[in-house]
Amino acid sequence: MIEANIELLKSDFRLRAEFSLPARGVTGIFGPSGCGKTSLLRALAGLEPETRGTIAVQGDDWLNSAVSPASLPVCQRRVGMVFQDASLFPHLNVEQNLLFGRNRLKQPSDVFDLEEFYALMGVQALLGRRTEKLSGGEKQRVALGRALLAEPVLLLMDEPLSALDQNTRNQLMSFLEKLFQQIEIPVFYVSHSSEEIARLADNLVLMEAGNVIEHGPIQAVLGRVDGNLASSDAAFSVLECRIKDYDLPHLTSVVCSGGEILQLPSTDKPAAVGKRVRLRIRARDVSLCLQRPQGSSILNILPAKISDIAKATKQGSRIIKLDINGDVLLAKVSEYSVQQLKLQPGQQLFAQIKSAALLS
Amino acid sequence: MLYPSDIDAFIVTLKLATSTTLILLLIGTPLAWWLSRTKSRVRSLVEALIALPLVLPPTVLGFYLLLALSPSGPIGRTVAALGLPSLAFSFSGLVLGSVIYSLPFVVQPLQNSFNAIGQSALEVAATLGASPLDRFINVVIPLSKFGYLTAAVLGFAHTLGEFGVVLMIGGNIPGETQVLSIAIYDHVEALEYTQAHWLSASLLALSFLVLLMIYSVNKRFGLVNSA
Repeated sequence: MIEANIELLKSDFRLRAEFSLPARGVTGIFGPSGCGKTSLLRALAGLEPETRGTIAVQGDDWLNSAVSPASLPVCQRRVGMVFQDASLFPHLNVEQNLLFGRNRLKQPSDVFDLEEFYALMGVQALLGRRTEKLSGGEKQRVALGRALLAEPVLLLMDEPLSALDQNTRNQLMSFLEKLFQQIEIPVFYVSHSSEEIARLADNLVLMEAGNVIEHGPIQAVLGRVDGNLASSDAAFSVLECRIKDYDLPHLTSVVCSGGEILQLPSTDKPAAVGKRVRLRIRARDVSLCLQRPQGSSILNILPAKISDIAKATKQGSRIIKLDINGDVLLAKVSEYSVQQLKLQPGQQLFAQIKSAALLS
Repeated sequence: MLYPSDIDAFIVTLKLATSTTLILLLIGTPLAWWLSRTKSRVRSLVEALIALPLVLPPTVLGFYLLLALSPSGPIGRTVAALGLPSLAFSFSGLVLGSVIYSLPFVVQPLQNSFNAIGQSALEVAATLGASPLDRFINVVIPLSKFGYLTAAVLGFAHTLGEFGVVLMIGGNIPGETQVLSIAIYDHVEALEYTQAHWLSASLLALSFLVLLMIYSVNKRFGLVNSA
């Protein structure tokens, strides 16, 4: 487990965070800019000496202010940190950068076959290069490899893709997705991009104005209709699916865990049939009908049951939580429509999904 | 040609500049590091004290040093109590004076170059398991290479040209405390212009070469700002 109950006072800002999360998988830390995501990550790493409270990782106390004001020094915590700007050492070449942490391990494990690892990270052609000659994506791969070779017990990533262009970001995201399935190190991944979070995270920590407002498995957190995320314009749901077939022209059929079948536009790089994929569906892309619409150009229309209706937001819209054979889907509809259609929890209706992003 | 005493003056000067530079790099490193990282209010005070020799007439500095080193002065008494030979009119006294006199020329380039090292390189090193000393030796020092080069060259060159402080506390003992600048002064006083020329021209050439070296190295690596 990774348990934290911390407080950090800065001149113009207060961070309060309390959570307890499993020490495996990817935990997305999500929230608007300036909400304290980076401060939380830095506090976990030990880079904010003013942090008070408790941090325990896998049973080891990293910080326990009640016992001692001194926390475990950063260099003994064994956190891998990947910053937004990669922060490679300019006086070392790529290989020396990669090995910086590993050379400081008392007993580097033999799990890493270096050649194989370099190939996995896609850095074998870069080893002798100077760091300033690398592209943004290459820098981040080196930074990530350097952190992993130090065999951290926790990997912290602070918006690692935000400084990259869209193309490189997509490539790196696919790369991270594969990598995270192969490593057993728990990852905390800070981002303000719902796409990155939906694609990579298993658990979610939602933050706002310095506070952790919700945390837990991603579907559960996203499904909370009264949560702050749901009421924001960024509300989205994530569906776990498998690729079914490519029988229709330019379309990919996926089957969700509840058994429904959705058709999505094919991507440039089709995934193998049977592969697990995720769909991110924005609440504002889901509309509701009482009867199954006939002759609609919208491909994906699913029978659904209303499981919850959130209070109206300031903008006069409401988030409806739908149950589709056990899968959770959020829909954003206007307050007026809720009254016109007399929507109530337990009601059966149809959800039209205007667009869904196939992630990976 | 040069008199044997002139050769001695050359040797004393080089010895003085070398030992002063080495001591200054040792003292200047922690001092400059502290100045570059501290948020303490005494920082300005310390910075002003270090910069004093830049503006103070060397004779003023020399005068107070002479008082401090004299048998009744605070340093003189401490030294005597420890049973050590007096520092006034000795080579060790000269080194002490030069260290104070050239301090800003070493501390300031080091401080500038430490300031230029971002916090994130050090933070990354810490997360990769490097202890504070390890981080200093393997990250800070290599990233401050040119700061060190500048500091060493400026400290050395500045000590070469020292006159006022040496005159006040070192006297003019050939082979022990007589440095080049004072030997030149003596030659001029004695109207031995040829000798004065020889020494002056060598000092001019040496200083120019040293500065040329530092500027060309800095330019090649685009690090003039760290000087």
